[in-house]
Amino acid sequence: MPKKYSIERVLAPSRFPPVGKFVIERNEKECIHCGRCTLVCLYGVHKRREDDPRFMSEPVNHLCKGCFRCIQECPQEALTIKNNDNYLLLGDSYWSPEIFSKIWYQAETGSIPVSGAGYTGPFSGEGFDSMWTDMSEIVRPTRDGIHGREYISTSVDFGRKVPILTFDTKGKIISPLPQICSIPMPIIFDVIPFGYSKNIYEALAKAASFLGTFMLIDPAEWFNSKYRASLVPLLTDLSKNWNQKFGLLEFEGLIKKCKMVEVAYDREVLKVIEEIKKISTETIISVRVSFGDTTTKIVEELAFAGAEVIHLCADINGKVIDSFDEQRFVKDAILDTHKLLVDHKIRDEVTLMLSGGIAMAEHVAKAIICGADVTAIDLPLLIALECRYCKRCHDGLSCPVELKALNPDYGAQRIINLMGAWRDQLLEVLGAMGLRDVRRLRGEVGRAILYEDVQHETFDTIFGEGGTHNIKSSY
Amino acid sequence: MRRSTQFLEREGHTISNPVIKFAPSNFPKDICEVEVIRDVTKCISCGMCAAVCPFGVHERKTGYNRVSKPLSYLCIGDACKDQPFYCVDHCPKKALSVGQNQNYISIGDSRWTRDLILGTWKQAEKGLPLHGLKYEIGNSGGGFDRLFFKFPKEGRTEAIENDAINTELELNKREGRKISIRVPFYGGGMSFGSVSLKVMLARAKAARAWGTFTCTGEGGYPEALKPYDDNMITQVATGLFGVSEESLQRVRIVEFKYAQGAKPGLGGHLLGDKVTAEVARMREAVAGSSLFSPFPFHSVYSVEDHKKHVDWIKEINPDALVSVKVSTPSDVDMVAVGIYYAGAHIIHLDGSYGGTGAAPDIAKKNIAMPIEYAIPMVHEFLKEEGIRDKITVIASGGIRTAYDAAKAIALGADGIVIGTADLVALGCVRCGCCESNRGCPRGIATTDPELSEIITVEWGAQRIINLYAAWRSTLIDILKQLGMQSITELVGRHDCLINADYIKGKETG
Repeated sequence: MPKKYSIERVLAPSRFPPVGKFVIERNEKECIHCGRCTLVCLYGVHKRREDDPRFMSEPVNHLCKGCFRCIQECPQEALTIKNNDNYLLLGDSYWSPEIFSKIWYQAETGSIPVSGAGYTGPFSGEGFDSMWTDMSEIVRPTRDGIHGREYISTSVDFGRKVPILTFDTKGKIISPLPQICSIPMPIIFDVIPFGYSKNIYEALAKAASFLGTFMLIDPAEWFNSKYRASLVPLLTDLSKNWNQKFGLLEFEGLIKKCKMVEVAYDREVLKVIEEIKKISTETIISVRVSFGDTTTKIVEELAFAGAEVIHLCADINGKVIDSFDEQRFVKDAILDTHKLLVDHKIRDEVTLMLSGGIAMAEHVAKAIICGADVTAIDLPLLIALECRYCKRCHDGLSCPVELKALNPDYGAQRIINLMGAWRDQLLEVLGAMGLRDVRRLRGEVGRAILYEDVQHETFDTIFGEGGTHNIKSSY
Repeated sequence: MRRSTQFLEREGHTISNPVIKFAPSNFPKDICEVEVIRDVTKCISCGMCAAVCPFGVHERKTGYNRVSKPLSYLCIGDACKDQPFYCVDHCPKKALSVGQNQNYISIGDSRWTRDLILGTWKQAEKGLPLHGLKYEIGNSGGGFDRLFFKFPKEGRTEAIENDAINTELELNKREGRKISIRVPFYGGGMSFGSVSLKVMLARAKAARAWGTFTCTGEGGYPEALKPYDDNMITQVATGLFGVSEESLQRVRIVEFKYAQGAKPGLGGHLLGDKVTAEVARMREAVAGSSLFSPFPFHSVYSVEDHKKHVDWIKEINPDALVSVKVSTPSDVDMVAVGIYYAGAHIIHLDGSYGGTGAAPDIAKKNIAMPIEYAIPMVHEFLKEEGIRDKITVIASGGIRTAYDAAKAIALGADGIVIGTADLVALGCVRCGCCESNRGCPRGIATTDPELSEIITVEWGAQRIINLYAAWRSTLIDILKQLGMQSITELVGRHDCLINADYIKGKETG
């Protein structure tokens, strides 16, 4: 049995008070400072003023859980609870306020979000919300992984795999074995979308090297050889300078140093790969392809040409980038790509990496079910560092959480905490499905309950064919 | 054997419905939709409003000069506008206004909307059914919230008296002792530890009043429930907390919990904060340490193993009915057939959006399918196998109202199990803070001695009795509109339902 991988977590409290869901307003005219609210509140929202205990201090809103006790027990009806506008305005329609508050919680504590009462959200939704993961019951046993009672492996491999091994008469393997490299969990860090600063890079690199995973980085921005085992330089615009043999020489040192490099896709990419392999045969090469209408063709071509890793990117909201169908979601795109490679009987030979719109732990599991080997995350890394995605930095304005002044050690711990919590949630899902290895989850569409399918299987027979399958989520 | 004859005697004669008593909120101020605002700078305290309002919103207490603060929760809101006693119109100084209550906006979520929570409170208060779409569906945009009844224009049975409409459900369709419940629902498992003993007692009392059942959950069988043995189901779950021969022999129904809808594939969670000395004693565990039940039953890895389980119960308590609670994986139909052939009497399907005292959010949202799909899947498959009329199918997990219950039955269940609605009747606002610290701030899902004082057993039982009465009236109303006389006629009648996603618009072009 391999050594158990576990992620040690240390409490890393937020530097700034988080944005809470509720605002409690105290009507100063009505309040008689009786202190009933301090007695009934379990969460410390209401306190007396420290300098003058005759009076109540302002409610500490971010601690409020919305239990309505103080509202209902205030003898003067002086308290009102409101939804916090700042909370509702966090992020956008894809990066919902709930995603923020959950990532903050996980980055701080390293624990998975556990709560009472049933699920509170919409029935289903777009993209990853239009599927459920399956579980096992009685006929196929589950696995008791989460508390370490059974070991569930989450490690995945990068690199090309051979479909068959050939042996000589003495039993020695004669087929050439490709380079392969394992990381202990199916999540790597993608290039961050904004907020470039030395401290953030340092924090990310520290976390990546602690976790034993990879971090994609633009070497023109930042590179520190100390972390080279975890860094994956993203080399762009190579073929533009191809004829001068200029592009690669510049990166030669980097290519030799790193376990893996990533090159952006263009028509000359196969030539680039060839040249890189000349510099270092041991370096694994990933090809970054933007999801679009031609993706499946490109992937097919690359897979047959011997590409080791294909990194498929969608935009930050998980939408396909170059497509006629603007609403096409990364989940469906990866599913189609995966199926195509399965049809061509080449799926197992190549590693597919997926990025774009991975916002919660469940998205990792769902992306893998839909055919990705490994996922890459971007914005959640910044959110873990308390980013509010207010985009003020896009306009050159000051950052409300002073990301540039981040202490890299503290930042790294927040990210380690988040990844620890995400991995635990992945274990929960794998355990419920009775799987002991995340590699077995890849492309297991039979272990997904897809909204369209289940609607078709059950309701079509009852209500007649051709439901609109409108996925509505509104509140 | 002595006890079973006792039951037969009791089942022989009819029992009248329990008494509905007014049971207002246990907090001094109730949360309501409307807010009556008096502008004190304009008010001259003439007392006109107190004189016209028939609901007692405005009051001038004897001996007081000023009219007291409006009691908004008594106001009927917009419905009052056209009435001759509308205080806003009568006020000579135009000092009054009626608006939406700020607090009301912040309560609820898309599954349990503010109106469903407040509506359940109203039903628990007065025991009367509520009408109007906002009390029927939530805002989740799928499942029950997209299903509606299609009432025929003719053939309604509205002339029939309410008492002649049969809402009874026979739980045993196999050989052996028959057990019928007077309403087609019973209470779901909530363990001692996840909720307080008072809540358990209140639920048990209400179950006895309505001639139905409630379930102990997996946290053992507290002695205080002894008087309610005939209305209890005891649960054998993966943690096996407090399971003993004695506790299995006390009851008429034993439930195996293989999985729970809110956390399928995971064992029960009781975080350390809530494991008080008392809870620890009941569970034979150490106080203060988190209790995570294992998953699965490590003695069950096949349907054959499952049969051994059922046989074990039948050996210990031969008269008991065996209920098997499972979650809703994609092969739930196969699981259901297996359960039948293992000899169980009841299949209890718990859908993925069901309630819980503590569960990882990822499990609540993502693992297994919603109950709306599982019911027709199991119902149809059991029919194809020719065993549908030999086993009782009970559904739970996200059933919030009597309308949801009726829809679940029309989709193919025989009856349903209530969990969260019971707690909402006791004042739950679904803040989701049941799991840690001292537990529920409203005194429901807690074992904290001080917090449990918020609820009294008598009050709690009355609230649940009232809620069940309102639900039963609603079910009767639905049956009458469908032209039916018994709830059993509704089972599997999906032709009575329409799905908003399947309504075809007019052909264009």
